[in-house]
Amino acid sequence: MKLRQVFSSKVGRQVLLILVTGIGAAVVLFPIIWMVFASIRPVQETLASPPKWIPHEITTRFYRELLIEGKSRRYLLNGYIVSIGTTAVSLGLGSLAGYGFSRYRIKGGAMMLTALIGLRMLPGVVIIIPFFKLVQMFHLFNTYTGLILAMAARTLPMTIWLLKGYTDSIPRALEEAAMTEGATRIGAFYRVVLPLVAPGLLATGVMAFIGAWNALLLPIVLTSGEKVAPLTVGIALFFGQFGREWGQIMALNTLGVLPLMFVFIFLQRYVVKGMTSGAVK
Amino acid sequence: MGALKSERDTVVAKNLGGRTLRARFKAMSGYLFIAPAILYLTFVVGYSIIYTIRLSFFEFSYGTRIPSFVGFKHYVKLLSDQDIWSSARVTLVFTVAAVVLHLLVGGLFALLLNERWFSVQLRNGIRGLLILPWLFSFAAAALVWGLLFHPFGVLNYFARVLGITDGAVEFLGRAQLALPSLIVVNIWKTFPFYMVMILGGLQSIPTELYEAAKVDGASPLQRFWRITLPLVRPVLVAITSLDIITTFGHYDLVKTLTEGGPFGTTRTLAYYIWLTGFQDGNFGYGAAASVVLLACLSGATLLYLRLFAQKEELYGETTTGI
Repeated sequence: MKLRQVFSSKVGRQVLLILVTGIGAAVVLFPIIWMVFASIRPVQETLASPPKWIPHEITTRFYRELLIEGKSRRYLLNGYIVSIGTTAVSLGLGSLAGYGFSRYRIKGGAMMLTALIGLRMLPGVVIIIPFFKLVQMFHLFNTYTGLILAMAARTLPMTIWLLKGYTDSIPRALEEAAMTEGATRIGAFYRVVLPLVAPGLLATGVMAFIGAWNALLLPIVLTSGEKVAPLTVGIALFFGQFGREWGQIMALNTLGVLPLMFVFIFLQRYVVKGMTSGAVK
Repeated sequence: MGALKSERDTVVAKNLGGRTLRARFKAMSGYLFIAPAILYLTFVVGYSIIYTIRLSFFEFSYGTRIPSFVGFKHYVKLLSDQDIWSSARVTLVFTVAAVVLHLLVGGLFALLLNERWFSVQLRNGIRGLLILPWLFSFAAAALVWGLLFHPFGVLNYFARVLGITDGAVEFLGRAQLALPSLIVVNIWKTFPFYMVMILGGLQSIPTELYEAAKVDGASPLQRFWRITLPLVRPVLVAITSLDIITTFGHYDLVKTLTEGGPFGTTRTLAYYIWLTGFQDGNFGYGAAASVVLLACLSGATLLYLRLFAQKEELYGETTTGI
């Protein structure tokens, strides 16, 4: 059979498709697999030449050191506190604002929404000096509150946009019905709109969480030491200091990505939804 | 109920002479909903921008207690600062290469996944796996690739086996290789975003269009150029413009992998600003560099949108798209 015929036959096309995509996927996934391997085997094996493709000697030493002996446990905990806090603040303020923009005629509303896009695109490095100053001014340097408030300012623009969009998709008739039944505006918002917009909140929340969990620049500037610094800072410092301890680094890294992977596996639909609706406009 | 309410409203209206209290409150309550978020953002970001612009005219560093006004001194110094020009060049190369490759790699995977698969589950499974790198922070991605780039690492092994080199190569320590290495890591982490977005765009194209084109005898290439590309263009414009800006301000990988070295070949503008501000403690100068970066970015974005976006994408509906 000529190549052309293979290409045009149904089965041939499928095989080719799977082959090409499979090779691509293997290349993309290899670093992740290698990371997990490095976290469960001795360093000599990780850096063996020629490489050992499958781990021979399995060890849980690195995870034990991190979790039980408590090295870097603080960074993980901080990561959770800061990310959950940021997500909560941006969802709280964002759902209200999203509702306001969606349901009311607001003077200069279109302009404000455009400005929010501009804000979202503002490079972090441009605002770190004033953020540093602001946080110091309110005596919030190296505190959870300071870091959460600063990060929420970065996630809010996107949150508002997403939640405005989700609110738009909910028919007004439902709240109006609730209000003729005697509910107040706020009551209708809490009892009718929020439950209906829950999938949107979830998608938006996941995006905000990922953004906060992965942020590096703001935490580096607004924290010092390991009191409130989240995992990204821990990783960056760790890399600089112990450039040779690959097992530990990779164990820490795996622990850092794990929560997002879990979120992703269970909420893939929402993550994809958040991704696709977040970028357009 | 509704009728009763409006009756009561008119009574109230008569008493107040014109607009009812209720109506006024109703008109106001929209502002109450948006107030917390908008006021907060206006305060924080407004302060930041004004502060940065003001600071750029002052001499202010770790040692000084009271900032002294120096006018345009920093801006003049920027013009003759060799380091910032080389940083600008690095940033430009990094941005252009990364964005183009994001688009190519992400677009390629999107096209593959958009094909007709014999098993939709398999397709979705692979899509899920391909998104995984996007979940990594740049710092985490830096670590993962740091191991691959290691002199005894896998990439070196392949380079030796394929006969490209015989000794160990320091991917991050060689002037010619460091920036390309950073770009590779950047692509690995960012392409899934493009893939998902473009795939979403592709799937929204009605299949009838392709069938009609087929009937008319259009070749696959023609179908791609005439149908696929024009119809996903809005998505491409939106994500690339967003991406250009984010990549232009890139800091994380530089900080974690190379710290700007070797010899400044990976020092992006963002990293340079961070260096002058927080490493050297020269806040005034850092602020001036920030202002210039911001101005360049705004200019570049406007130019890009002028060139690639159609009018309706620029000034069209701002509320749709979700």
